[in-house]
Amino acid sequence: MFTRISDIDRLFGTMNLLQRKLNNLYGDYGRPSAYRWELESATPRINLYEHGDNFEIRAEVPGLEKDNLNVKIQGNYLEISGERGSDAPEGYKSHKTERGVGSFSRSFTLPADVDATKVEAALKDGVLYLTLPKHEAAKPRKISIN
Amino acid sequence: MDRRQEIVKQNEKNVEKTHELYEATPAVDIYENDNEILLHADMPGVVKENISVDIDNGTLSISGVRKLETEGAATYEEFSDVEYVRSFSVPQTIDVEKVEAELKDGVLRLHLPKSEAAKPRQIEIKTA
Repeated sequence: MFTRISDIDRLFGTMNLLQRKLNNLYGDYGRPSAYRWELESATPRINLYEHGDNFEIRAEVPGLEKDNLNVKIQGNYLEISGERGSDAPEGYKSHKTERGVGSFSRSFTLPADVDATKVEAALKDGVLYLTLPKHEAAKPRKISIN
Repeated sequence: MDRRQEIVKQNEKNVEKTHELYEATPAVDIYENDNEILLHADMPGVVKENISVDIDNGTLSISGVRKLETEGAATYEEFSDVEYVRSFSVPQTIDVEKVEAELKDGVLRLHLPKSEAAKPRQIEIKTA
């Protein structure tokens, strides 16, 4: 009997630990990464969606213009690189500089090959939108039953 | 436990506010010269209509809601719909009437001009 109670106790202990971890995770969500990793502060966050025949990429690139961004695709390899210059005005004293500055590069292996000639890229409100059509061979196909 | 108490306390304070979105802190740069204070905040994906900038009683609060249009299943997701919220205390010497804000490429830029009285002044020394 005694061992069983201690088992339960341990179970609750683990649950508390997990809950604390999750709480901390939640509290940290979306905080500027400069607080934690100075090196990664210029690296954009990226989402990848799979939508039928396309892959959709969304990347947070605030303040970047299209000349500052490079997108390279080869087969199922995608590389997004760019450089974020400082927009610090001349003759001002700076109190806070949390926004990352510098060059970054991120590369991905996509789940399937994409047709590099039909890729569309758009930049809107500081978000990069990429639409990557899957290569013919990788597209979902309906099989008819004889 | 502390954290939970904090959350409960906050909810009591703003009775009517409902939080549907994650709140995130935008990264900011703050610059100052003799004439004005500049504030640059990263808010990628936020459109002009969803931003509010308020100055009330020495507190500047900025808030922006991002609604992303997404389709399909997420293979992985590092960011999502979010409400960017941050507030700062600003000196009373800011000329609230002349504050300007612009939004470009997901960066909010605020110009907070100092009132005439607060600008540094060179005093001329008269010879007797």
